[in-house]
Amino acid sequence: MAAPPAAVDFTSLAGPFRRRLPWPSPASLGTCVQLLPAVLFLGFFFMLPAATLFAYSFLTQSAQGNVGLPLTAAHYQHFFGTALYSRVLLTTLRISLTTTLAAALLAYPVALVMVRTGAMTARIITMIVIAPLIVSVVVRTYGWEVILGNGPSGVLNWLLLETGVIRHPVRLLYTEAAVVIGSLHVFFPFMVLPLASALGKIDPSLDDAATTLGAGSGRRFCRITFPLSLPGLAVGGCLVFSLTAGSFVTPAILGGSGAQMLGMLVDQQILTVYDWPFGATVATVLVVIVLAINLASMRLFDRRRRNAR
Amino acid sequence: MSGGLSRPLAWVLLPITAAVLVFILAPLVVTIAISFNDTAFVVFPPHGFTLKWYGEVVSDPEFLGSLAFSTELALAATAGALLLGVPAAFAVVRGRFPGREAATAVLLSPLIFPVLITGVALLQLFAILRSDNTSLNLFLAHVLVTLPYVVRTVMASLMLADRTLEEAAQTLGAAHWRVFRRITIPQIAPGLAAGALFAFMVSFDNFPISMWLADAQHNPVPLLIFQRIANVFEPSLAAISTLLIVFAVGVVIVVERVAGLRRGLAM
Repeated sequence: MAAPPAAVDFTSLAGPFRRRLPWPSPASLGTCVQLLPAVLFLGFFFMLPAATLFAYSFLTQSAQGNVGLPLTAAHYQHFFGTALYSRVLLTTLRISLTTTLAAALLAYPVALVMVRTGAMTARIITMIVIAPLIVSVVVRTYGWEVILGNGPSGVLNWLLLETGVIRHPVRLLYTEAAVVIGSLHVFFPFMVLPLASALGKIDPSLDDAATTLGAGSGRRFCRITFPLSLPGLAVGGCLVFSLTAGSFVTPAILGGSGAQMLGMLVDQQILTVYDWPFGATVATVLVVIVLAINLASMRLFDRRRRNAR
Repeated sequence: MSGGLSRPLAWVLLPITAAVLVFILAPLVVTIAISFNDTAFVVFPPHGFTLKWYGEVVSDPEFLGSLAFSTELALAATAGALLLGVPAAFAVVRGRFPGREAATAVLLSPLIFPVLITGVALLQLFAILRSDNTSLNLFLAHVLVTLPYVVRTVMASLMLADRTLEEAAQTLGAAHWRVFRRITIPQIAPGLAAGALFAFMVSFDNFPISMWLADAQHNPVPLLIFQRIANVFEPSLAAISTLLIVFAVGVVIVVERVAGLRRGLAM
């Protein structure tokens, strides 16, 4: 980050500085003044606390609640050695993966339509896809709670009863399926938008050339559209997986004790049990999962790009 | 835009797309519909029609207190994020220095970290620092979550800005500040406005940071709704939600007008 002092060319600074305002000037000192406040802010209020939280997961909490030495890996052993916690971890992974796959399957047609229809339709679809993003997650999840209500006046149950599909209300709320549906709704735009931008970049003459050479629409999709859309799919998949794994509101309202996820466990350990080191351990596990998924996909696509050259 | 949809493909894709759009709108439409229910409990299908829940909401001191606090917090956080983020975006797009990519990664790093965990980490930091000023803690935390959004939108609009216009003005003898004010700012203004609006909404809607740092006197709207979902079964909650939905739709329309949605959000 910090450049060695020798790299600063003082002679070039003196000139523009005497008369000109430094802000819009490209001089390195000006750049430094522009950049430093934000970087210091992030260092102190983001990097430092994140590192402290990580450190806490290896410390010991005394009976009085003080956290300190000795260093220990006991919290991790406790986390991975207890069936209850392993179940929460597995539930989190299962819900995140299901949500990601469902989002990919449903986003693909929407993104294709978005890039291949007229500008007006594309604009309307974009508005409808993005608008919910700006409505608070809590509000949207409340809407799903009403729709998935377990009684006969839950919207979906009412619909199924009225149409004669079921005879008695079915249990929808407080299940993993409810959390998947809610998360799918909340994070869907994060899949559609990268996918649409990848699909929009595909050169249409490729499709025309393939058609001229006699390829059918199925073959064109498998050999051209799909492979070229993979980067968008990967970006969207990473976002949806990470956001679902780290969510709190949706599982807390729609899942409850029926689908406990890691975020709820962190909340419980820190705000109810006051066990800071164990809360920090669960938080670290969550962060490692999210970062691993993101790094893996980045590596994968860097290698593909290098091989393509 | 590429070649259009072939007939058989359109037959498959259009119904799926329509179904997905219904799925996206369903919880919003249902919430709006039940807010006019004239029963004491939320029932579906909606029963009767009344505006009394809206009357109740706009005279509910707890909700109004939360609304005022959320608005002040979002305005302050947006101002803070602009103050830190706009110069930083200029530095990483326009500056020439070693470690430019690393600096960009640092500026955007809070985006790849689970927000919930950022919140716990901040709670811990403020506990260690013995900072028990809730408003200040929430302000700093909200600047942190909104900052990357501002940096990203301003970076995107700076990269699209035409530098040759600035060079032309400079060649014609315009002073540096004048070039900045008359050429640079007007070019990035839509991106700046969209970034500010989006930052406001990110702060206004935030739950996973506020849940750790708020207290009863400083209770942002999303927290209030979350608490009430567990113990208020009246349609008044749907009325509050409807007001927020209408507000958000308004913001979306403004962003779309000002900058174009996808560009405004830098996605």
